Amino acid sequence: MKKPDVKVVLLGDMNVGKTSLLHRYMERKFKDTVSTVGGAFYLKQWGPYNISIWDTAGREQFHGLGSMYCRGAAAIILTYDVTSWQSLGELEERFLSLTDTANHDCIYALVGNKVDLTDAKAQLSQDSDGLSEDRSTAAAGDEEERTELQAAPASPVSLSGSVLRKQVTLEDAVALYGRIMRYKGLDETSKLPADKMCFETSAKTGYNVDALFETLFDLVLPSILRKRNEDKESPTVDLEEVGNKRSRSSCC
Amino acid sequence: MEGDNHQDGEAEGVQISDHSSESDPAADTLLGNHLLPDLAAKSDSSTANRNQTTKLHLSDVTTEEPGQNEELCSQLEAKLETDEAKVSGSRNDVSAHPADGGAEGNAVDNDQSDSGEFVVTMLAKAKLEEQGIGVKGRSSPLSEAGVEESPSFKSHRDEDVTADSWRQHRKHIFVLSEAGKPIYSRYGSEEALSSTMGVMMALVSFVQSGDNVIHSVYSEEHTVVFLQKGPLVLVCVSSSRQSEQQLRGELLYVYYQIISMLTQASISRIFEHKKNYDLRRLLAGSEKILDGLLNLVDSDPSFLLAAVHCLPLASSLRDSLSQILQKAITPNLVFSILIAKNQLLTIVQEKTVIEDSRLEPADVHLLLNLIGASSAFQAGEIWTPICLPLFNPDCYFYAYISYLDPPECTVCLLLLSTDKEAFYAVAECKRKIEEAMAAQNSLSLIAKAQLYSVSQVGVSDLRHFMYKPFDVPDNYRQLTQFTSPEMEAPYSSEEEKMRLLDLYRYMHSRIHSTSRPLKLIYHVAERETLLAWVTSKFELYTCFSPLVTKTCAITAITKLLRWIKKEEDRLFIRYPPKYSTTPNPSKSSKSSKSEQQDSTDNGYLSLL
Repeated sequence: MKKPDVKVVLLGDMNVGKTSLLHRYMERKFKDTVSTVGGAFYLKQWGPYNISIWDTAGREQFHGLGSMYCRGAAAIILTYDVTSWQSLGELEERFLSLTDTANHDCIYALVGNKVDLTDAKAQLSQDSDGLSEDRSTAAAGDEEERTELQAAPASPVSLSGSVLRKQVTLEDAVALYGRIMRYKGLDETSKLPADKMCFETSAKTGYNVDALFETLFDLVLPSILRKRNEDKESPTVDLEEVGNKRSRSSCC
Repeated sequence: MEGDNHQDGEAEGVQISDHSSESDPAADTLLGNHLLPDLAAKSDSSTANRNQTTKLHLSDVTTEEPGQNEELCSQLEAKLETDEAKVSGSRNDVSAHPADGGAEGNAVDNDQSDSGEFVVTMLAKAKLEEQGIGVKGRSSPLSEAGVEESPSFKSHRDEDVTADSWRQHRKHIFVLSEAGKPIYSRYGSEEALSSTMGVMMALVSFVQSGDNVIHSVYSEEHTVVFLQKGPLVLVCVSSSRQSEQQLRGELLYVYYQIISMLTQASISRIFEHKKNYDLRRLLAGSEKILDGLLNLVDSDPSFLLAAVHCLPLASSLRDSLSQILQKAITPNLVFSILIAKNQLLTIVQEKTVIEDSRLEPADVHLLLNLIGASSAFQAGEIWTPICLPLFNPDCYFYAYISYLDPPECTVCLLLLSTDKEAFYAVAECKRKIEEAMAAQNSLSLIAKAQLYSVSQVGVSDLRHFMYKPFDVPDNYRQLTQFTSPEMEAPYSSEEEKMRLLDLYRYMHSRIHSTSRPLKLIYHVAERETLLAWVTSKFELYTCFSPLVTKTCAITAITKLLRWIKKEEDRLFIRYPPKYSTTPNPSKSSKSSKSEQQDSTDNGYLSLL
């Protein structure tokens, strides 16, 4: 088996689209998925590196497993659904504590999926674009949207209309990102800037999906290199243990 | 929606249920206790507070006041009495009366039947009432998300429970908690059905309060079967002609599937802790697995026969696959299972584990259903806890599931470990298995494997059969299996398949009737003739063309049994191999296999 060099974990409430995001990125397709059980392991070749990605089940049933999947993670993608205020709240209430077992220098990304349902910008398919969609454009697009849409927490979502009301704005996500950083005890200087780590994506159209994964993969590279060095020192080191022994330096 | 007061006597019943579903179990027993004395005394006393109760929602949980209960009871009782007039006489299974309850344990008594009739009519009439409080009003995160994610999901869950089409489903399955909280409904959203389920719970508690147990209710068109397991109540409302026993067996599968996801211990713990817990929180996302199970139960005779069906395979190929699995082991690995086209190819078991207890067919069915119901498995490698309820209802195994032939995804490897942390070690086993299979070109050989045609048997009038050999003492730890050819014309359409299965179910119910079990049935049906035969060695169901004579059929069966004997190495997994993954160095995967072979004459078929 190709040894994974680094571990990335997708977390988030059920039905926010974790599996779809990953499927879009890995298979370039969007299809109906069914509720994930437990966790699913994928291996992604990224240049010379093998990145393992864990797609976890959002269902409460599997909640107890979350910390196991997160153990030794170098990056965690916290996913919510932009049309569901609750899904953002769940991240803080239910999922944040699971990340305690991740590496100390773990990178966090906050991802609002299903943005095609609320933002016209994201409705165009971007499959072939790869990385071309830069985040500043996305963020700018969002800026416009935000003025039109009022975030209305907990208001019922109209299921019939094709354009749904956006319940979670990027600002909300940025605020949560700040709280996560505080929870992790990271100060302003060592943490990655929120505008860089908060994404809005659409697994359905592919909007911003590649950007999300590729940004993250680039960010975990230092972590990979460090780990490779450690592995040279102790070549038989257990994959699971590496995470726990990791040096405490924070990356980037 | 609360309409006019005089017409909805039935609706009152629904209200009652609403209440009992909201109340905690204490209130339920209260309800029951009040019912009994009330039954004789009062009649239609209270219609007063009806409109208030109508508006209550499941979520507005409050503690019941006894007074309110009393009122509810009298409402229910009034309803029961009106119904009695309507249905009395049509009952045939009369036994104990709840008033002198406790005397006879099990049977359905008159009043229960009436109340059951009541359920059946209620199931329909409650709908009108529910229109207002149903799906539309409240958007649970569950239904809401489901709608967006998958259209097929939507069609089931969002079905209009007031529509005739909903009532006409052949088989409804409901799961509720003892507090009357809805947990699962096969059709329609649980929320929309909360009052209906409340009525069911009211019935259960009502009978319970007389120290009795409600088992089933028969009406002209429906059979309602109740099964209470721990804190869960499962109800089947069926218009199929299946026997109560069979329906209860199916409810048991539903229960086991829930257990397989949550374990019995955790369910008991949860409900001990909080009686009115909403179990859907934990089962959210699993509805599809239950839906899939119920579809399988209807369409796959494995469930009826409580046996597994393995894909016919040359024994040499099956052995080589088994050996590959046997070699790829890691500590704490207990089962290695290879599946193709949703059927077993081979199964290898940890030696010491299997000496204590055996793998039950039902556990295998649940595993197969889990894999079938989860198309998300088709990429990546899954690592998930799963409980095998018949093996041990309180503990989890950790299942590694991966397809070996992406993107086709027909050959699936399932490895079960007892070690939560063993993912990488178990994934390594898969690598080994993959390599070995590539070396032996196993995948292309497996791809050629398929079901056989009944024509291979060479008996002209024989259209289809199901043959299940029984365990024999030598081999009692063998997984119970059965074999059956493909369903071909005239049973190739879905309707005809179902019709044949229904005939088999009917034969099965006669054979296994509790009151009058039969050994042999020759049944001349309209469009075919069936013969079912059970001996100490096997159970056999055959289907012939309608013009067959009795003598012909018997000759045919003799031929068939000979053919099966000849083919049994191909049709069954004969000697499930074992391995040892315990540290104990009785390294004997090989020797255990030869031991098995020594006891070869397992009498699979010492027929006739």
